[in-house]
Amino acid sequence: MTLLSGGISYMPWIKERWKLFLTKREEDMAAGVYGKGIEKAMKILVKFGNAFGAEKLVKITSAHTMPVEPLELLKEFAEDVEEVAVFTTLHPLMSAFSPDKYESMGIDRDFAGEELPVSEKRAEIHKRLGFNRTYSCLPQLAGNLPRRGESISWIGTGAQIMANSLLGARTNRDGTVINLCSALTGRTPLWGMHLDENRKAQVLVKFIGINFDTITDCQIGAIGYHIGAIARNRNVVFEGIPRNYGLDLLKYLMAPLSTSGSVSICHLTGITPEAPDSQTALGGKKPDEVVTVGEKEVLATWQKFREASRDEVDLVIIGCPHCTIGEIKSIAGLLDGKKIGNNQRLWLGTAEQNYRLAQLMGYAGIIETAGGVISSTCMATVPCSPLPGDVKVVKTNSFKAAHYITSFQRGKVSVVVDDIVGCIKSAISGCAEVR
Amino acid sequence: MKIRGRAINKGMAAGTAVVLETPFSFIGDMNPKTGELTMAGHPLAGLPLAGKVIVFPTGKGGTIAPFITYLARKNGKAPRAILCEQVDPITAECAMVMDIPLMDSFPSVELTKIIKTGDTVKIDADAGQISINYPE
Repeated sequence: MTLLSGGISYMPWIKERWKLFLTKREEDMAAGVYGKGIEKAMKILVKFGNAFGAEKLVKITSAHTMPVEPLELLKEFAEDVEEVAVFTTLHPLMSAFSPDKYESMGIDRDFAGEELPVSEKRAEIHKRLGFNRTYSCLPQLAGNLPRRGESISWIGTGAQIMANSLLGARTNRDGTVINLCSALTGRTPLWGMHLDENRKAQVLVKFIGINFDTITDCQIGAIGYHIGAIARNRNVVFEGIPRNYGLDLLKYLMAPLSTSGSVSICHLTGITPEAPDSQTALGGKKPDEVVTVGEKEVLATWQKFREASRDEVDLVIIGCPHCTIGEIKSIAGLLDGKKIGNNQRLWLGTAEQNYRLAQLMGYAGIIETAGGVISSTCMATVPCSPLPGDVKVVKTNSFKAAHYITSFQRGKVSVVVDDIVGCIKSAISGCAEVR
Repeated sequence: MKIRGRAINKGMAAGTAVVLETPFSFIGDMNPKTGELTMAGHPLAGLPLAGKVIVFPTGKGGTIAPFITYLARKNGKAPRAILCEQVDPITAECAMVMDIPLMDSFPSVELTKIIKTGDTVKIDADAGQISINYPE
């Protein structure tokens, strides 16, 4: 080993160091036979796999990646690559930044000025390499529907937990580089959630006194946010969620679990593929912890985002996770014939294809006439949070968005959570109060 | 004082320690342009992490962090090495992207108590050990 001037060591790539089993093809990929980008991608996957005890790499059936790679990084890993190795969808454009919509959203021109040229270059590479430009945190909305037991690599903590839980597909909470390397090579280290034994629940959640017929979208989010902090990185199973709950409501339960906590999988007894009953979800073992949730816990969690710093709301955000067409229809119904306040903004987030559907159904027209803006970007504004400078109070129906916006704005903005109906009412009246 | 630990990303490095007692994330807690610590309200906020040995209990969330650390490395602002009590996968990925040594699991000590900000730390991840030289 020699120490270079920066104090970093030189580590020659030695075959004997590989503990992970590689097929002949994978060895060739790592040796540069398939080009420089694949060689780099493979080396990182192998290094990472070795560190986390993976026996080998597993082939993935789909990937979902984040379209905001540093341009140099994307070029490095895409060098000599003709196309992605598997069906791949793209996550939303991050920081709520849409090249088409940023002006009507009120996002700063300086921020846009820096972002626009980079986002164009990235989009060219994505298009050329076949990354499907779906721009959604709900890949299922765009036809990315892996089956139970299939290994995938999906980015986005909401997408990850939903794929594991609702579809029974298998993904780790991959970081953006491992994820990109997996999409380019079609393989990912076989560890963590790709293995049966790591998918069993340790935390069992029961409900007392919750009326699931009347509970609202944001109250469901409060449950997720509350449990996430308790579960931390352990797997969860919920008993008692109604069978008729669809994606609209389940996404609010799941997304906050990987926000206040870092939960990878959340079984729902009697509903999700790996939880025909609680015992199966728990792997036949007693849970490490049993948590009971009632109205008291829901209200206490809601209280964290209930008091605005002043009476007037400046920005209403709905779409974290992205809205389903059902939600867009409801919102259009609430805005039909009305206008949002002169000093208010309304941002809605949904998948690119869903926006087209909303246009065909007439919902987008109603919402836009009322003054709302629909985009396929990240409504939690991760990571740059370029809110218009005059925004002091934000109202949203999402605990995940509330958490991140509060964190990224470092005290400059007060965020309150309310249900969709309350959010739209506030956008119209300008009044921030949560009833 | 030599302490044994587990190598997550190999290599050798030496530098001045910055010790954080709460979980750390490269997204949100570090500015990739300046390399500064950006933990709101933290006594060390504003301190440059570039070229330092960062010591923290574990990472917290932020799957976009590896992109941020790539930028930090390109800007010449990457830390020199990372030491964790118990590493999380994202932090491991970040160390691999920045190509810097990372060690964790030091069973004989509580890492964030035994190292102080300003100490010189030498890391030999290949040999699985670190040594701390207290400033005299």
